Amino acid sequence: MNRVFCRFLLLLIVLLFLPHAVYAGANLEVNTPAITSLKQSMQGRHIQLVNYYENGAVGFTKDGLLALRDANVVPLAKRQVVNGLISAENQDRNLLYREIARANKHPEWEKEIRATFSQRWIKLAKTGWWYQGAGGSWSQK
Amino acid sequence: MRNLFVTILLVILALGFSAYAAYPQLKLTVADIHSPAFHVKNINIQFVDHQASEFTINIEELGVQDHVWRNLNLSCGQFKVNERHIHCVSGQINLADSLSLPMVFQLNHAERKLMFEIKPTAKESWQVLMDWDEDNWQVRVNIVEGRVAHIKHWLPDGGTVPELTNGEIDLAAALSGDTDGLAHFVLDASLDEVSFSDPVGLHAGENVQLNIKAKADFIAEKNEWLWQTDVTWPRGEVFWQPVYLVGDGDRLSLNGIFGDERIRLRNGKLILSEIGEFEFSGLMTRSGHELHDFELHADNLELAVLFERILKPFFQDTAFAELEVSGQSNLVWQFRNGVSEHLMLDLDDVSVIDQRGRFAFNRVDAHIPWRANKVTIADISILSGHALNIPFGSVRVPLEIRGFNLLLPQLVLPVLDSELRLENFVASYQQDRWFWSFNGELKSIPMARLTEALQVQEMHGTLSGHIPEISYDGREKVVSVKGELLFNVFDGDVVVNNLSLLEPMGFAPHLNADVEMRNLDLGLLTKTFSFGKMEGRVDMDMLDLELSNWRPIGFDAHLKSSPGNYRRRISQAAIENISSLGGESATAAIQRSFLRFFETFSYSEVGWRCVLLNNVCLMGGIEHDSGSDSYTLISGGGIPAITVMGYNQKVGWEALIDRLKRVTQESEPIIQ
Repeated sequence: MNRVFCRFLLLLIVLLFLPHAVYAGANLEVNTPAITSLKQSMQGRHIQLVNYYENGAVGFTKDGLLALRDANVVPLAKRQVVNGLISAENQDRNLLYREIARANKHPEWEKEIRATFSQRWIKLAKTGWWYQGAGGSWSQK
Repeated sequence: MRNLFVTILLVILALGFSAYAAYPQLKLTVADIHSPAFHVKNINIQFVDHQASEFTINIEELGVQDHVWRNLNLSCGQFKVNERHIHCVSGQINLADSLSLPMVFQLNHAERKLMFEIKPTAKESWQVLMDWDEDNWQVRVNIVEGRVAHIKHWLPDGGTVPELTNGEIDLAAALSGDTDGLAHFVLDASLDEVSFSDPVGLHAGENVQLNIKAKADFIAEKNEWLWQTDVTWPRGEVFWQPVYLVGDGDRLSLNGIFGDERIRLRNGKLILSEIGEFEFSGLMTRSGHELHDFELHADNLELAVLFERILKPFFQDTAFAELEVSGQSNLVWQFRNGVSEHLMLDLDDVSVIDQRGRFAFNRVDAHIPWRANKVTIADISILSGHALNIPFGSVRVPLEIRGFNLLLPQLVLPVLDSELRLENFVASYQQDRWFWSFNGELKSIPMARLTEALQVQEMHGTLSGHIPEISYDGREKVVSVKGELLFNVFDGDVVVNNLSLLEPMGFAPHLNADVEMRNLDLGLLTKTFSFGKMEGRVDMDMLDLELSNWRPIGFDAHLKSSPGNYRRRISQAAIENISSLGGESATAAIQRSFLRFFETFSYSEVGWRCVLLNNVCLMGGIEHDSGSDSYTLISGGGIPAITVMGYNQKVGWEALIDRLKRVTQESEPIIQ
């Protein structure tokens, strides 16, 4: 009985961790021309976004994107510009997650790749920048 | 509305008369007042001493809409009173606990006049004047340099409406009516340096100046109001997510009829500075707030400004976020009985240019009518343009429109001194998605012109082909081809199978296809790429080809000599270039032997294979030599013959491209 139970437990553990184990094989550093141009595009935009990370206008969302967290700290005439930057950055990020999944020949991994990158962005964020917790509330790093 | 006003009036009168009648009694209490719009609890009027030198009015609770103020207090420390007249020379009104404002009022019972004025500062004044008789009454409200911050307490709260934070208001309003209620209303107000914002700053304005004129008259016979409003916006900036606008004399005029069941807008006009004028009218039901009818006309709209200021922010999350639009447009929209009936769009000398370089339409003139349940024909003329850098010439498009379906039996598009013939184009808009399909034919396009347009290596010959049904599925965002796409290039045939293009207008289109090329003329091919002269014919398969953003990320390519009898010669330069791709220089070996006396050599077969995976090309040739890592790229045959081997098994894709570029750009090696 114990052996049966142990086997069952082992199977359960394997099944529980199987999707993650499969996803763990993903190469997040994979490179394609599209990924290269997306990264270049994001690097170019980062300089424009840094000020808004620092003053709290823009924060990192829990789904690996950016959001306008507090528009009040942005001059009125610049709010549309910040919206545009966020939109463009989010388009690039969505494409990046999808391209990495495709380059790994597993488009269905996009969700997991997004989740991993979400954690990466927050980890890379500097002190004072804002990020969204699992519950949706904003915290300052 | 009318009943509410009468109620307020009666309360004020009751307070005034009751206080007067109560004198010299020291204290009286007025019963609670309730109405659908407001309520007042516990009104106490008290004379502080028997000399009546001071009296106070306390209101325990005043509620208007969702707002509740508690412990409102009005006190008058200096007043005069006689049988006809109460005059508070100096008083205070205490709003809530913190705000206390100087106040005066006069009530003349004999002349039936009341004046009430709050003067927060020497310059600022909020004044209400009332007079009445048995049948009629009038109220005038005058505000001079009033701070709008005082109003914010009276506006709805809850984070939905931006809060007024700064600015001044000058206002003159006159209201009049009879025992049945309000009958006439006139307002002339100007707001200056007004700032407002919601808590997160997504709806905010700064330094806004607004001039508002409004008028309304009650038509008792019809039980409805005739009203008109005129608002001008001379300056100030507003951000109303996602649009940012700066006032520059923009103007909104409205007039219509306000009834118990419906609101009719008879004439509306919106003048947007540098954009144009919009004229509109409509009908809305009050129950349910549903739009029943609407008609909009706009002529000579300046599309460049309209798109940049107003439309562009709404395209930010789409592939059309970076358009540059110019020209003029007329627009008509008719909405009847809750549905769109007619839409007409005229374009005059309009150009639409994608700043990412994907497409452009230059000098478009169009008349595009649309009618629900009727067939219309749109007439669209385009002087020139390009799609993915491939230019096209003047074209006229007679597009048939049937509801949300578009049909075009045939269109001949001039492309690079030739033409692309599109046939059976159909498009439909279903469930917020576009679907379209067409087939056609590409007539001989000079490759030199095509490669010049695409800014790639110049090629010679012509490109022509048959286009089977190509369709687009808006749900999947995929363009797919039913059947084979056939082209002729380098005097050979190209067949493209299993072609699909994911998100063609997206930021990183994905193309998948299997390409089979047969009987390509090596002479034309090598001449094109300055590769060194080769004579012969080749077949090439490129299976599982995948392009991302138009650059290859995967394929299995295999090039080999075509079957058949034809002249097979290769120059020393070509041998050198092929062998350098394989990893070894052949020149030195040739120079060491008698072969250096020959400019060209015979061969029996060429072969090259590249499997591109993860940016690495896994190379091979005609066949692998058993027991070694080498492979044969050129197999010798005839006199003089030469065989070229390859040794590189793996080459980085970028390195291979660089090497190819280098060998095709360098001059041919000198053989001594």
